Amino acid sequence: MTAETLVNSKLVCVALNDKEQLATLEATFNEAPYKKPPTQPVLYYKPRNTWNRNGAEIEWAKDFDGSDVPAMAVGTSLGVVIGKETCRVSAEEALDYVGGYTIVSDFSLPEQNYYRPDIKGKCLDTTAPVGPEIVTADKITNPETLSVSISVNGEQKSVVELANMERSVAELISIISRIMTLQAGEIIAVGFAGNRVPVAKGDKVESSIEGIGTLSNTLGGA
Amino acid sequence: MRHARIILDGRELDIQIDANDRLTTTDGEALIVDLDSDQITWLPPVKEPGTIFALGINYADHASELAFEPPKEPLVFIKHANTLTGHKQVSYRPDNIDYQHYECELVAVIGKTGKNIKREDALDYVAGYTVCNDFAIRDYLENYYRPNLRVKSRDSLLPMGPWIVDTADIPDANALKLTTTVNGKVTQDGTTRDMIFDVPFVIEYLSKIMTLNPGDMICTGTPHGIVDCQPGDTVVCTIEDICSLETRMVSEQEYYGDKY
Repeated sequence: MTAETLVNSKLVCVALNDKEQLATLEATFNEAPYKKPPTQPVLYYKPRNTWNRNGAEIEWAKDFDGSDVPAMAVGTSLGVVIGKETCRVSAEEALDYVGGYTIVSDFSLPEQNYYRPDIKGKCLDTTAPVGPEIVTADKITNPETLSVSISVNGEQKSVVELANMERSVAELISIISRIMTLQAGEIIAVGFAGNRVPVAKGDKVESSIEGIGTLSNTLGGA
Repeated sequence: MRHARIILDGRELDIQIDANDRLTTTDGEALIVDLDSDQITWLPPVKEPGTIFALGINYADHASELAFEPPKEPLVFIKHANTLTGHKQVSYRPDNIDYQHYECELVAVIGKTGKNIKREDALDYVAGYTVCNDFAIRDYLENYYRPNLRVKSRDSLLPMGPWIVDTADIPDANALKLTTTVNGKVTQDGTTRDMIFDVPFVIEYLSKIMTLNPGDMICTGTPHGIVDCQPGDTVVCTIEDICSLETRMVSEQEYYGDKY
């Protein structure tokens, strides 16, 4: 389960941080059940049963009747690895608390709505690979200049610039550290491209960030 | 048998408590101290906390109190160990909010790894039961992954304990009186009989989605009778035959001290 993964105790993910996605959904977010756009970062956890490693297989999920689900999707984020206890820090000092950076992929059922916690979609076993390694913070001068790309079976499907995120790494660390005290080794996945990439059984998914590496996983079920 | 984690004379101890309230360490050392002694510091009772699942609107009367239709499937959200605190410890109320309420809940502690667990086998996977107070800050509710982390996942918002009672000692977890007092006055008076989705149902449901592991916890929701709590208030959540959990509310400044 959690053995040999790079996550220590907590993996917090930030949804709806892609400016383009927020603009696209603006009209929807003014309607029920949302009623108004989010004023705060939209956060969710990938719990420990989801944590996985570079190179490992991602299980193809089952429906409640035991048959294979019809569709899964993947998003990839920069993973910010907390370096020391982080409690109520300002955005100005937030990057001093980063120990390193890695890559987090979030395999899930396709995102259909954001109203209730998406336990069925996001909490599936083995669906949060993290890696291939943690690069120390001093190797990345400015995380906002990074871009995250996803390729499936060798074909590039998605590229997103961190500069296009609604909230920066530093802002997110500051806001989250006022909700919960973060500990060394806990990871924040700071933002995913709004358009998640559809995947099929047996697909090989490679997610890359320059300067950090490539996280490679294969879907099961083939 | 009851199981707890305490600090006594500077030692962190895993203890058992027998029917006569005698305390013994898991290594067999008898402790000469009364159960209600101030010498005991109570820690959250699960030694290696895993994923904490909490249920929203799982009592029909509480659903109507919050103006919701009772759900057709469990509304589950996740919390982590940063929220946990022990019996007779403090929980903080953020500055400048209007409404923070307690939620007295029965907690099932998972004792065995399982996936696709059948309802009729579910209690084999439960190590025991305890009580939690699943505080919520209603001012921070937003309609995105609601109840959002800002409402439910703050430090100290999940007092739990003082102990875990073995599953075998609770013949029917859905026939227990549940009460909360604030400063000695009864504000919540219900029974676990009114739960919409009981522990076996939720274990079957969750384990169809994911593997459950020892140290995972399922907090099963709260009935009608929530009220606002202020710094200085003492909140006691009690479930019959399980335990009574006492929490003192403090201000944000008192809680964080130098880090405020």
